[in-house]
Amino acid sequence: MFFHMVLERNMQLHPRHFGRDLRDKLVAKLMKDVEGTCSGHHGFIVAITGIESVGKGRIRDGTGFVVFPVKYQCVVFRPFKGEILEAVVTMVNKMGFFAEAGPVQIFVSNHLIPDDMEFQPGDIPNYTTSDGSVKIQKESEVRLKIIGTRVDATEIFCIGTIKDDFLGVISDPGANS
Amino acid sequence: MGSADPFNRLVKLAARAFYDDITTKGENQQKTGRSDNRGIAVVVLDTLTKRQWVREEDLAKDLKLHTKQLRRTLRFFEEEKLVTRDHRKETAKGAKVYNAAVAATGDSQQTGREGDDKQKMHVHSYCCLDYAQIYDVVRYRLHRMKKKLKDELESKNTIQEYVCPNCGKRYTALDALQLVSPYDEYFHCESCNGVLVAESDKLAIQDLGDGDDNARKHRHDKIKDMLSKMEVQLKPLIDQLARVKDLPIPEYGNLQAWEARAHASGRSANGDLTASDPSKSSQGFGFGGTPMPYVGETKVGLLRNFFHFSCEVEVAFSGIGEKGEMVKSETPMKVLPPWMIKDGMNLTKEQRGETKAETKTDSTLTAPEVSDDKKSSTVNDEKKSIQDEYVKAYYAALLMRQREQEETMNRPEPANTISNEDYYTTTERQVGMKSKRDEDHEGDDVNWEEAGPTTGGQTRQFKVDLNEEAEASEEEDDIDWEEG
Ligand SMILES: [Zn+2]
Repeated sequence: MFFHMVLERNMQLHPRHFGRDLRDKLVAKLMKDVEGTCSGHHGFIVAITGIESVGKGRIRDGTGFVVFPVKYQCVVFRPFKGEILEAVVTMVNKMGFFAEAGPVQIFVSNHLIPDDMEFQPGDIPNYTTSDGSVKIQKESEVRLKIIGTRVDATEIFCIGTIKDDFLGVISDPGANS
Repeated sequence: MGSADPFNRLVKLAARAFYDDITTKGENQQKTGRSDNRGIAVVVLDTLTKRQWVREEDLAKDLKLHTKQLRRTLRFFEEEKLVTRDHRKETAKGAKVYNAAVAATGDSQQTGREGDDKQKMHVHSYCCLDYAQIYDVVRYRLHRMKKKLKDELESKNTIQEYVCPNCGKRYTALDALQLVSPYDEYFHCESCNGVLVAESDKLAIQDLGDGDDNARKHRHDKIKDMLSKMEVQLKPLIDQLARVKDLPIPEYGNLQAWEARAHASGRSANGDLTASDPSKSSQGFGFGGTPMPYVGETKVGLLRNFFHFSCEVEVAFSGIGEKGEMVKSETPMKVLPPWMIKDGMNLTKEQRGETKAETKTDSTLTAPEVSDDKKSSTVNDEKKSIQDEYVKAYYAALLMRQREQEETMNRPEPANTISNEDYYTTTERQVGMKSKRDEDHEGDDVNWEEAGPTTGGQTRQFKVDLNEEAEASEEEDDIDWEEG
C-alpha cells in the first residue's frame, strides 16, 4: 500500500556547497540519499514530493560540515499481510517462485501454488497446469496475496499465495511464443 | 414495516452467541469480580428489541444501569454496527415530541418522566437497532468465522517451514531469499548446505521430528472439532438467518422520521389514548396506588426478572413482542422448540437431566404469570382493582420464585442461549408497577454473576477465535499511516 507521509532527516552538507544554491544542493542530496531506500518502519521510500522545512544548520565541531534537519514529504510503499499485489516473476524453482512488486521481493512456496500446477524443470523452469493452459515462468505477471511479511531495519520480504480466487497469472509471456 | 419478531429473535440469538462475555469498562477500572459486567451487552440488546428509538437516559433508567456504562455498551454496539445512534440538542419541548412518539408506539411505561425535563438545552442521545445492518453483520461474521477455520484446515495462508535433514535447523519461507542456491532448484541449509525439506513432506523423514507433528495434528483435529461444534451450536442462529432472509426488514428510519411516523400512527390507531395517558396511568399507580410492601417495581422488576430467568432457562420466546400492540395478542406459552433443547444440552449429558428438572419447575412457576398476562392487557382499561389483584398474584408468584431461586442458586446452571425474560418484561411493563423492593435480593445479582461465566463457557471457544481474527486482520501496523 502507498502512503503519503512526512519524514525527517538530518542532512550533513560539505562546506563547498555553501552558497546561494545551498538549498538545491541539500534537496538533491536528500533525494539521492533517501529515494529507493527502505526502512522497516515506514517501508520503501518511493519518491520525495516536497520539502516541508529546512531547519537551522549546525556546524559540527572539528569539521566544516553542517547538519540541517530537513522535513520532507514523500510517498512510501509498504506491503501488508492480506494485501493483493501484482508482481513479476523473477525466478522459478522446485520450491516455488520469487516475484517482485516494485521494490518488494515476494516468495510463493509451492504449497501455495494451486495443486493442479506442476513444476517443470528445464531451461525455463515453470509451473504448468496439466492441460498446459496456464504457465508460470520467469517474467510472468501474477496477482498474489501477501500472507506474511518479514520486516527488518532495512529490508522487507514477503511471502505470498496464489492459491485463492482470482489470484494467479494475469499475463503469460509464454503464451505468445 | 414488517413484523420485527423474527428479527428480534435474530438479535437475541446473535447477542447470546457473540456478545455474551463482552465486557465494557473504563480504562481506569481494573477487572474485579464486582466490575465484571459480562452479560450486560446481552441485556441491552434484548431490551432494545423491545423498543424502537429510545432515549439512552431512559434506557439506562429502565435497566438500572449507569448512563456511562450503558453508553459504553452502546458505543461498542455502534462500532459493531448493530445499533444506530442519534444525538441532538433539544429542549424539553423536543423531548416531548419523542415522548409522544414513544407513547404512540405503545412503548408506554418509560415516558413517565416528562416532568423531569427542565427547560434547558440538553444533548440527548437516542439509539435504535439497525436491523438491516444486523442481518448483514451477523452473516458476515459467520462467514468470516467459517472461512478462517477452513483456511486453516486447508493450511492456506500458513507459512511453509523447512527443515535441514542433516543438522535439524529450521527455516521458514520468509528466509527463502537467503536459502536459494544458484546451482540447483532447492533450498540449502545455511550452516551445512544440506538440501532443505519442506515441513509437510516431513512425514517421510521420521526421526527428525521432536513431536511437532503430533502438535500439528492435534491442532488440526482441534480446528476440525471447532468447525463442527460451530455448526451445531450456531445452528439456531443460522436457521434464524435463513428464516429472516426473505422477510421485509423492519425499518424505523432515522429519529425524526420515526417520531413523525409514530406520532401520526399513534393518533390514528389509539385515538382514545392521548399521548400522555399511559404515562399518567403508570405513574399514577406507582406513586398513588396501594402501597404494597413488596411490589416489583417496573424497572427493577424488569431487570431482576431478567436475572432470575436468564439463569432459569427456557420457556423460550413466547411470541410476545416488543410493542404494545403485540402484547395484547396473548400468545400461549410456546413449547420449547427442539433446536433450543439441543442447544442447551449440547454441553454434557448430565446436564440434560438437570435442564429438564429446571424446565419443569419453571413451567409450574410461570403458570400464574400466563393468566397475569391476560390481565395485563386489560390493565389498559384502567381497572384499578384488577391491577391490585394482579399485583397480589404477581407478588405471590414472585415470592414463590425467589424461594425456588434460592434453592437452585448454588447449582451450576446449564448455559442456555435463550431465556424467557422478554415474556416477563412485557407483562410487567404493561402494569407499570412501582416499589421500593431493592435491598432484599442481593442474591439475584450474585446469581446472575455466576451465570454469566457459565453462559460464556459454552461459546467461549468461538469468541476467542473471533477476536483473534479481528486482530489478525489489522495486526502489525503500529505506525501512524497517512494514506496518500
Ligand atoms: Zn543443515
